Amino acid sequence: MKMTPDPTRREEKKESSPDREEKGPSKPDVSRPGKDDLLKRMKKVDPKQSERYKQRTGQ
Amino acid sequence: MKKRIYGIETEYGLLIKNPEFRLSAVEAATQIKNHIFGKSLGVLDLHYRANDEPPGNGGFLVNGGRLYLDMGHLEYASPECCNLVDLITLDRAGDMLIQDAIEDLGWADDVAMIKNNVDLETNATFGCHENYLVSRSFQFENRDNLRMLSAFLVTRQIYCGAGRIGACNPHPFRDWDGHAPDDSETDAVNFQISQRADHIPNEFYRWVQYNRAIVNTRDEPLSDPSKYRRIHLLVGDSNMCEYSTALKMGATALMMELIELGAAKPEWILADSVGSMRSISRDPEFKWEITLADGRHTTALELQWEILNAAKERLTGYTNEADWVLKIWEEVMTDIPKGPEALVGRVDWASKWWMLTEFMKENNLDWKDSWLKSQDLEYHNLNRRDGLYWGLEEAGMASRLSADAAVERAKSSPPQGTRANGRGELVRALMKSQAAYLIDWIGFRLNKEEPFLMLDPFLSYKSDIREYLKSAAAQQNPFA
Repeated sequence: MKMTPDPTRREEKKESSPDREEKGPSKPDVSRPGKDDLLKRMKKVDPKQSERYKQRTGQ
Repeated sequence: MKKRIYGIETEYGLLIKNPEFRLSAVEAATQIKNHIFGKSLGVLDLHYRANDEPPGNGGFLVNGGRLYLDMGHLEYASPECCNLVDLITLDRAGDMLIQDAIEDLGWADDVAMIKNNVDLETNATFGCHENYLVSRSFQFENRDNLRMLSAFLVTRQIYCGAGRIGACNPHPFRDWDGHAPDDSETDAVNFQISQRADHIPNEFYRWVQYNRAIVNTRDEPLSDPSKYRRIHLLVGDSNMCEYSTALKMGATALMMELIELGAAKPEWILADSVGSMRSISRDPEFKWEITLADGRHTTALELQWEILNAAKERLTGYTNEADWVLKIWEEVMTDIPKGPEALVGRVDWASKWWMLTEFMKENNLDWKDSWLKSQDLEYHNLNRRDGLYWGLEEAGMASRLSADAAVERAKSSPPQGTRANGRGELVRALMKSQAAYLIDWIGFRLNKEEPFLMLDPFLSYKSDIREYLKSAAAQQNPFA
């Protein structure tokens, strides 16, 4: 089974386990070329649509 | 069990985007379902399956899966799959069958199908159920087995949660459980990593509505009960990221393998599974601290490392798929400490968190802005033109497992290697016949013939079904 490589992923894999003393994850320096398009897509979302999303409880 | 059967059942939410739209959500879901069956993609039930499932409420599809209305939600159950690539492909095929119907009906601007698990206004919840075939020797009576599984499920949300804005208290089910919800506690939560964590009040239980449990203990194998058990989980979230779905199902299957082999460790058992489920999900610092039953203080990440290391020790080389799952599990675990940005496109909660925080920065908003709830919903919209998850795919940020051509084919073709293959052939034959039929996951019956049982989910039954259909045709000519 093969995963499609993600060309935007810049971080390098480290084989270490997490440090128990760390105060949660740190912020990496990751730049995302598609970010502007994503933000444009988000800008088009109707700010009120959540108010109309009233669902029945299912399982 | 080296070979395993997987399945996913998804209850979709439906958003009427256009306030002028003429149908209610349930009416729209009904028409979408009828449109799919009208396109010769399956056959509707002719019989009652339950009091709330009358004839025509749903049916089996030519891809071997099932589409139906359940408690007002459109629900797609994938066919039985014997590998993760098939599962991801057939799961996405279900999404696309539904979105295609919306497009065909000309409703793409009016109606959105939302693949999530919560309604952020009323706090209703609906599920994404996972099915795993295990051997009958997986003992439910041994509560430590279930507690170890529970510890795994509670902590796996760090890589397979779908994330949500806000929090809620679960609806009280029993009168004597009634208590005034502490709104100050939920109001303090801006974002949490799981959609279902707030809705799971029990560690073990058989029911699937309201009083949900981390481990559902209903014994309904849908196969030979002397050989198999079906673990039916309702604790997880619906995922948009294929990588997340694959890791969720793959790692959970490996955990079950460890339990079956007696290699899972009682020291993984949590002191308070239900409380940890919620505290991990709601932790704003993503530290995910937990306490184990033996009093040890650790984190969800560390416990997952312990389980992963045990799986590597015992299951490396077990199967090609096991090796692949171990690899992606380790990749994600290694990347989690780098922060949500490092997981974009692979882990839904992290992708959503990153998109929302970038959007807040760009527009000078805070977590309480109601626009964010609408963004949260839009992440799960199946419409590729609008849905936010699809923006990640379009930008090349989302890892894919399935191929578009395979998804297209899976809308009308069953997977190989399971009884879904024979069922798909049966459904295709029934679409051209006048025979009366009754189909279920474990077999079918035509006219007044003896039932045809499909108790072994690893068999396709294809040639036997062909013979059966020929024999039925010879006797009553229903396939003329």
